[in-house]
Amino acid sequence: MEEELQPEYGPKWSDQRVERMLGTLVVFIVGLLLALIVVVVINGWPSFAHNGLSWFGPGGNVDDQLSAISQSAETGAGYIYTFHAWPLIWSTILICGGAVVLGLVTALFISVFLTEFAPAWMSNLLRPVVRFLASVPSVIYGLLGVLVLVPFIGNHLITEHQKASVAGIISLTGYSLIAAVIVLTIMIAPLMVSIFTDALSSVKPGWLEGSLALGVNRWRTIWKIGVRAARPAIVAGTVLALARAIGESVMLAMISGSTAFAPNPADGLIFIYEPSRPLAPTIVKSVDQLSSPPAKATLFAIATFLLFSGAMFSLAGALTRRAMNKYGAA
Amino acid sequence: MESLAPDTAPSAPPPIRRLDPQDPTPAQEAVPTTATSFVAAKRSIAAPQFSIRRMEVDRVSIHYGAKAAVKGVSLPIRQGEVLALIGPSGCGKTTLLRSLNRLTELTAAARLSGSIRLDDVDIRLIEPTLLRRRVTMVFQQPNPFPMSVFDNIAYVLREQGSRRVRKKALEPQVHSALARAGLFEEVKDNLKHPALKLSGGQQQRLCIARALAAEPEVLLLDEPCSALDPQSTAVIEDLIVRLRDDVAVVIVTHNLQQAYRIADHVAFMYLGDLVEYNSATRLFNSPTQQRTAEYVSGAFG
Ligand SMILES: Nc1ncnc2c1ncn2[C@@H]1O[C@H](COP(=O)(O)OP(=O)(O)OP(=O)(O)O)[C@@H](O)[C@H]1O
Ligand SMILES: [Mg+2]
Repeated sequence: MEEELQPEYGPKWSDQRVERMLGTLVVFIVGLLLALIVVVVINGWPSFAHNGLSWFGPGGNVDDQLSAISQSAETGAGYIYTFHAWPLIWSTILICGGAVVLGLVTALFISVFLTEFAPAWMSNLLRPVVRFLASVPSVIYGLLGVLVLVPFIGNHLITEHQKASVAGIISLTGYSLIAAVIVLTIMIAPLMVSIFTDALSSVKPGWLEGSLALGVNRWRTIWKIGVRAARPAIVAGTVLALARAIGESVMLAMISGSTAFAPNPADGLIFIYEPSRPLAPTIVKSVDQLSSPPAKATLFAIATFLLFSGAMFSLAGALTRRAMNKYGAA
Repeated sequence: MESLAPDTAPSAPPPIRRLDPQDPTPAQEAVPTTATSFVAAKRSIAAPQFSIRRMEVDRVSIHYGAKAAVKGVSLPIRQGEVLALIGPSGCGKTTLLRSLNRLTELTAAARLSGSIRLDDVDIRLIEPTLLRRRVTMVFQQPNPFPMSVFDNIAYVLREQGSRRVRKKALEPQVHSALARAGLFEEVKDNLKHPALKLSGGQQQRLCIARALAAEPEVLLLDEPCSALDPQSTAVIEDLIVRLRDDVAVVIVTHNLQQAYRIADHVAFMYLGDLVEYNSATRLFNSPTQQRTAEYVSGAFG
């Protein structure tokens, strides 16, 4: 009797066994990630090695540099690596930074409205819609941008006078910084809204009620207690949106204007109509040059840069969250 | 503001004597009926020195949709006294308490009829945020904000002021609120620490301090001790009795011994009805209603 019962004693899936399997999986994934980083960095290294710190700086026309690099493989006169990425980096900063700041502000207000002020039916309707919007493929946003926003900006917002004033330097067609920022904002804001609303609605009701019961009005309560308590999730959502923005290539390649121009705020307000091209779309645009070794190194160097900035933002986000969690908000 | 430390306040009542079988002093109010130990524990604190009628609940009924949670309740709330609301679970105590500072309005389904007056002004005529500063509430679950101990109190003060105030300027008020809630000595060195790291009893006293920082005229307490150990409960009970001269105190409690110890008047509710409103001594020792007698004896019997 006892011997028969013996095998039934322990569950088939003991905790230790599950733990070991998951542990192996995690190690495997981390290994894969490390391998990926190593491959990217090794491939990009020649470009960094030849340019040193000036890789990140300004100097010359990036598009000319890129074609010189890819053609140098065929001339036989030795590879050319000279590359100064600043216009691309600057464009990335302007477009992604602009979209994230704009998206953060809009998403916060929309989320506060949806969780605290909207009637239940509206909130129940809009929250799934927002989640859906967050999952729309970016190429669709790109198409709409090309079809609607770019012509509108080119034909109605930019004046002939403005076009003439920079005619010698760059042509203003509507493919512009502002178009890219707007479409990118529309693309990442739903992601932020869906993360923020989840965070705001999981703030302990007792905190909000406690504040209301002390005679603080709803608006102040939601900002000072609700949003404050949700800050770690807000930071996490913002970092996620920033990562998506930095990595966005197809849509930006379609809308930002395909010249490696560095829009100059010193030109006045007109700079928002100037075209540019961020880092990620540059890789997409030049991907057919990969057979040329120096071009390949340059593209992988760009990829390395993107990878490291992504990692830095995640790290900064994690540190900020930790600082905010000091009082046990999350 | 007058000092509230028990050793300096001239009219401060002596400390409450707690239920203690070893206690050698005989009970002062020996009552014949239901001679259980809790009766012997009736506090020896002085009877109220005075009492001023502050709030008036007048035939108040509250419905959640079609369901009646409170049915035609009328009772006075007086400063100088502690009023306890007792009754079985679901009888509408919390609902009635929340209606006193219009917190019921936050529940969309809730409908109130009848009237509640504060100093003879219908509370529907008082702007809700102003009313909630005059009538503050402490909840059953301690709910300190996820901030430092200091900021928990300072939050109330900052939100009340129209201009931004520097931390330094708020210190005296924060300290005095903490002192009134009997918490200052325990946290004075840790004012920057997270409030959520305090013990449950300290958290509840912090919530009381927060409610007091608003300088309320009426303090509503919804089962403030239900999550606490006897020691913390004792501290809070002392505090409540000490507060009654400055603010009208209404406390909901499931602990009948606690109601007996600290309340001057007790209201017994049953299924939304106010069955009996009477002085604590009379309600527990010679209830006029059959239901009250059953509830009181059932709980102690
Ligand atoms: N938000 C609400 N929506 C609908 N019904 C509610 C709501 N809050 C309370 N009720 C109902 O109203 C009645 C009274 O509830 P209330 O919370 O006032 O009781 P209580 O006396 O405080 O009970 P307890 O002692 O368990 O806290 C209950 O039947 C409850 O189901
Ligand atoms: Mg209750």
